[in-house]
Amino acid sequence: MHIPDGFLNAGVSVATGVVAVGGGAVALKKARDELDDKSVPMLALCAAFIFAAQMLNFPIAGGTSGHFLGAALAAILLGPYLGSLVLMVVLIIQALLFADGGLTALGANIFNMAIVGVYGAYVIYYLLKKALPRGRTWFLSSTAISAWFSIVLAALVCALELAISGTSPAGTVIPAMVGIHALIGIVEALITVVVAGVVMAARPDLIRTYQPAGNLTVREVA
Amino acid sequence: MQHGFLDRYANLDSPLHRADARAKIVGFLSLIIVCVSTPSRYWQPFAAYFLLLLALLAISRVPILYVMKRMAVVLPFILMVAIFIPFFKRGGGSYNLGPLTLSGGGLMVLWNVSAKSLISVFSVILLSSTTSFPELLKGLERLKVPKLLIALLSFTYRYVFVLVDEVQRMRRARDSRGWKGRWLWEGKVIGHMIATLFLRSYERGERVYGAMLARGYDGRIRTLEITTFGIYDFALAFLLVAIPLTIRLFTG
Repeated sequence: MHIPDGFLNAGVSVATGVVAVGGGAVALKKARDELDDKSVPMLALCAAFIFAAQMLNFPIAGGTSGHFLGAALAAILLGPYLGSLVLMVVLIIQALLFADGGLTALGANIFNMAIVGVYGAYVIYYLLKKALPRGRTWFLSSTAISAWFSIVLAALVCALELAISGTSPAGTVIPAMVGIHALIGIVEALITVVVAGVVMAARPDLIRTYQPAGNLTVREVA
Repeated sequence: MQHGFLDRYANLDSPLHRADARAKIVGFLSLIIVCVSTPSRYWQPFAAYFLLLLALLAISRVPILYVMKRMAVVLPFILMVAIFIPFFKRGGGSYNLGPLTLSGGGLMVLWNVSAKSLISVFSVILLSSTTSFPELLKGLERLKVPKLLIALLSFTYRYVFVLVDEVQRMRRARDSRGWKGRWLWEGKVIGHMIATLFLRSYERGERVYGAMLARGYDGRIRTLEITTFGIYDFALAFLLVAIPLTIRLFTG
């Protein structure tokens, strides 16, 4: 889903770039407020973690494979602002170091994955959390649903950008991208649920957006 | 330890490697912007950008085969657009290829995105294989990118190597236990690996932070800075901005 240079027109590049810079400024401010400057190592390790996790390819069907995005996982573990910041760091490193995603499309890629993907997942997770009773099963179900939506929403805005830029005809690129990613989203949901389940069993205090029922105190991490 | 794929040739020695990171960032970024904004009616400007990059590649002594391999990252996207070509109905005539009808408009779009994305990727690869990442970040910091973001990027870069090692070890362990990775339910294994990776990463982060505190870390990172932006750097930046811009203006 990393759009290279040359696929977007000037309007789309500039518009998404402005939103991305705004989103970055908000996320950095929130990071300073929530964590203060000193917690850089922790956030950086989360970013390096997402980066390394994206290297694990998973099977989709037969021979094709996809890889984990981690937007919903980051949103649920770290909260929307820090999650978005971590995804941005990953995307910037991928663009600069691997040429994975173009520099003039960096704004669009940040918008799709770090903003729409992370905040979209968080909004859905948050609404489900309000609507559903507390408990492990419900937590994991809302995790799965928000992970699926994070992929599909990111793919949808990516397809819209390509269509608006005149790179692909809207009538075909939107159903194609959304269709493929509806499938990839299932695997993303599966993996996110497994990860969330294991983290919940091992270190429930690391899930910033979830407080388990009962009077378990959440340990403040340095 | 096998991660030579990360900025592998950034520590060679050449005039391009020695140039200040700011000159290269500004130069290559403007080359990309000019290239992306060039109308695709003509092929000559793209050929000229490509030749300019080839000349820089020759100066940098980065192997051309390596660059070409890395350029493959854009292929999936180009293919995706190519698949849509028959659906374009934007004039430009149509061509028959066996049972398929290719639209002229679609072929124009394909040429447009292929030329632009390949040249841009070439530029980024040249930038990242002539500038080490820490230097690149120092350049970005001088160019007024927020300090917190720079600190995050440099720490992330530092630990990417460690975690990629971790992933490779885990992958080796998994594969030696006969994991095939052919079916959906085998994805659960990936989930467990990612969860383990997260716990290890986070706890490593806690330990690193503790160790840094013990050594007097107060949120600021102090480095010895000896960088100069000389006449040579200025010339490089100027050429990288001026040559593409001239080509672009002349072919309008």
